[in-house]
Amino acid sequence: MSSKVSRRQFLSYTLMGVGGFMVSATLMPMVRFAVDPVLQPKGEGDFIPTPQKVDELTETPVRVDFTIKDRKDGWYKSDVSNTAWVYKEGDTVIALSPVCKHLGCTVNWEGDEKHKNEFFCPCHNGRYEKNGKNIPGSPPLGPLDEYVVEVVDGYVHLGKTVPNTLV
Amino acid sequence: MNWTGKDMDTYLLQKEYIDTLVIPLVKVETKMDNMKTSASSTEFVMHLASLIETQFKGRMMFAPPFAYTPETDQQHMAQTTLREFSTTTFKHVFFLTTDHTWTAMELPGQVIWMPSIPLENMDASLRNSILEDQLRQALPKFTEEWSKH
Repeated sequence: MSSKVSRRQFLSYTLMGVGGFMVSATLMPMVRFAVDPVLQPKGEGDFIPTPQKVDELTETPVRVDFTIKDRKDGWYKSDVSNTAWVYKEGDTVIALSPVCKHLGCTVNWEGDEKHKNEFFCPCHNGRYEKNGKNIPGSPPLGPLDEYVVEVVDGYVHLGKTVPNTLV
Repeated sequence: MNWTGKDMDTYLLQKEYIDTLVIPLVKVETKMDNMKTSASSTEFVMHLASLIETQFKGRMMFAPPFAYTPETDQQHMAQTTLREFSTTTFKHVFFLTTDHTWTAMELPGQVIWMPSIPLENMDASLRNSILEDQLRQALPKFTEEWSKH
């Protein structure tokens, strides 16, 4: 008798099985929605790859262009071109933002013949030292921003800009 | 600076630094045969304008482009609509265009004429380097005007 399944047992097992299936069918999506933020892909990550090799860097800042792909502004997707001035100080890679702290023009390394070894802003003759420190007497009121740098497979990857930490 | 509310606020606070106004002039052709060239040169002017804007954000204000059609009497437009810019608070006024007729006209500012380059089939990096070359050619005209005052 014990090896046989009674009609009552059979029915209760079937009901439990079907019931369990139905409950899980409603619960699973709920759980999926609850943990959704964890499952989201990280997107591009916070670091954007650049074509600049670390080995080729010297102590002289070079201009590195990079593109932020598919940046979303509302529903409008666009690629944003960006620039950084990158150089090596010992073994650390330093990347400075080219945006002048005065009114937002683009600064150039040795952009003016009279001022060697400096960043120069062509708009109002703003000047910065190599580490981004603004030179007193010129219009900018603060040092150039810095990019967070990460080296991946020998290439420079740049993150977001932070206030200058070298000055 | 662009012709937006936020940038205009900055301008009003920093009038002595932002002393240059750039006005793009674009020709909108209505005939089927010329529409493509017109669109292409408008694209060129607007791309160039936005490149110059990022480079010289703190000194130049960019007005919205002024558009006209082939039927427009450009001489008349120069004497009426564009003449208004002679009374602006900006010290330097530039007109950016690919239309050669403007160079022969009396305008309240310097005309920067650039030959139109079709950009539509270029990838972004080539486009940028070409635009930068063009900017380098236009640059002396800006710096010369700036050094006068």
